[in-house]
Amino acid sequence: MNIASLSTEQSPPISFPFSFFALAPLFLLLAAVMLALGEGNPFAETHSPALLAATHCITLGFMAAVMFGAVQQILPVLVGSKMPAARLVARFTLLALFAGTLALCGGFMRGQPLWFNLAWILLGLALLTFIGASLISLARAPADNATRSAILLAVIALAIAGSIGGLLAHGFATGAALPYPEWLVAHAGFSLGGWVMLLIAGVSYQVVPMFQLTPNYPKWLTAALAPALFVLLWAGFLPLLFGAAARPLVLVAESLYWLLAIIFAAVTLLLQSRRRRRVPDATLSFFRLGMVALICAALFAFAATLCPAAHTAFRTLSALAFLLGFAMSVVNGMLYKIIPFLIWFHLFRGGIKSGIPNMKQIIPEPWMWWHYRLQWATLLAATGAPFLGWAAWLVAAGLSLQGFLLGASVFKSIAVYRKHVRRIERTQV
Amino acid sequence: MGSTVTLDVCGLPPPEPFVNIMAALKTLPADTILEVRIHREPFPLYDVLRENGFAWQAAMLADGNFQILIHHAA
Repeated sequence: MNIASLSTEQSPPISFPFSFFALAPLFLLLAAVMLALGEGNPFAETHSPALLAATHCITLGFMAAVMFGAVQQILPVLVGSKMPAARLVARFTLLALFAGTLALCGGFMRGQPLWFNLAWILLGLALLTFIGASLISLARAPADNATRSAILLAVIALAIAGSIGGLLAHGFATGAALPYPEWLVAHAGFSLGGWVMLLIAGVSYQVVPMFQLTPNYPKWLTAALAPALFVLLWAGFLPLLFGAAARPLVLVAESLYWLLAIIFAAVTLLLQSRRRRRVPDATLSFFRLGMVALICAALFAFAATLCPAAHTAFRTLSALAFLLGFAMSVVNGMLYKIIPFLIWFHLFRGGIKSGIPNMKQIIPEPWMWWHYRLQWATLLAATGAPFLGWAAWLVAAGLSLQGFLLGASVFKSIAVYRKHVRRIERTQV
Repeated sequence: MGSTVTLDVCGLPPPEPFVNIMAALKTLPADTILEVRIHREPFPLYDVLRENGFAWQAAMLADGNFQILIHHAA
């Protein structure tokens, strides 16, 4: 059986996703630096430059990078279709995404048009490349399942979020008169509520039962959730068209959106409670934390509506619970499953007949648990940060330590891979 | 085509289904069909089968699992 010849035929080379995974943790460090450089408490003002810069370090530099790298690898596994021109797409997206994120940080922190102009051009190119390649891959996919539909909607949401983001950055650079508050809401809605939420849901439909040994998600949920969430996101545009008159409709759409998010989180927690192997698992714990945080994000959003006097504070808490609690926890949890699996899979297909490390040996389990505790601590600090200046420093410290630990895990995995590849090469000489 | 050997990997975590299927294929006689029952469609497996001279047919079962019939290509 000739496994050795198969290594790079269908799956993209392992270096592609690992370039993204290795560089992404640096942006957690950069996010911490942005928070540290901010004047006063960056969390006290939702649109403070330092908070906007740190947020985009996390959403673009860390999360989008991990997601772009992972999507390239998981499309062949989950829907049976690889990305076209994988090498070119990976290299170009990587460079443009990281350079664009740095430029955007420069724009927020320095307020100079040059940085904003660089940012929207570079990020636009990165998104255009990734979205185009993803759409081609999804169009060719033989699988017609709920995961494919959800990823497709996530990619469309990313295109919309990116377009609005580009307009905003261009507007910041030129000083153009735009309805900034309305565009900002739509941008945040389609990027976090669209791209992030839909991608996580679509991938969870398969990854949760597959890796966590749970029953499958119910069909009514996988069939309806992503399309319903996607439709509700469009309510974010209504204030642009109808102004304040659209507010009741927006409130209804938002409430329905958060209700669906709670249902997704509750079903995921229920499925996890019925998993077949009841052994402690850090990735499972990350996932569970993420789902609890998603429910908290929804409750904070409801509280913001019900309590106009504390509207801004609850809105900020909802956004923090969604971004740092839900999205970051799930991304971390998925990374700690995907990285060992990719290392194992590529070694197996690379021709090793024996001595392949067990998936659990690739990243030391205690490292994952430390990261999980750090994630908890960062999240707790973040809930206090809008009110307590010193908590903002704890968030920055938590993000830095998470970046170090995740980076160390990625490099440890690469070292394991290289060690075994050298062993193959020695046996082949 | 001769007899059929059944391999049920439903509910096993990655990478066990892949490992078990590859182990079964190593000893699969030329005139025998390997019937795999698995909880999801194993797209990466198809590439490996194609490259190693196997043919296969996949079908979704009523319970949501998949049946993959694998044999040596003619």
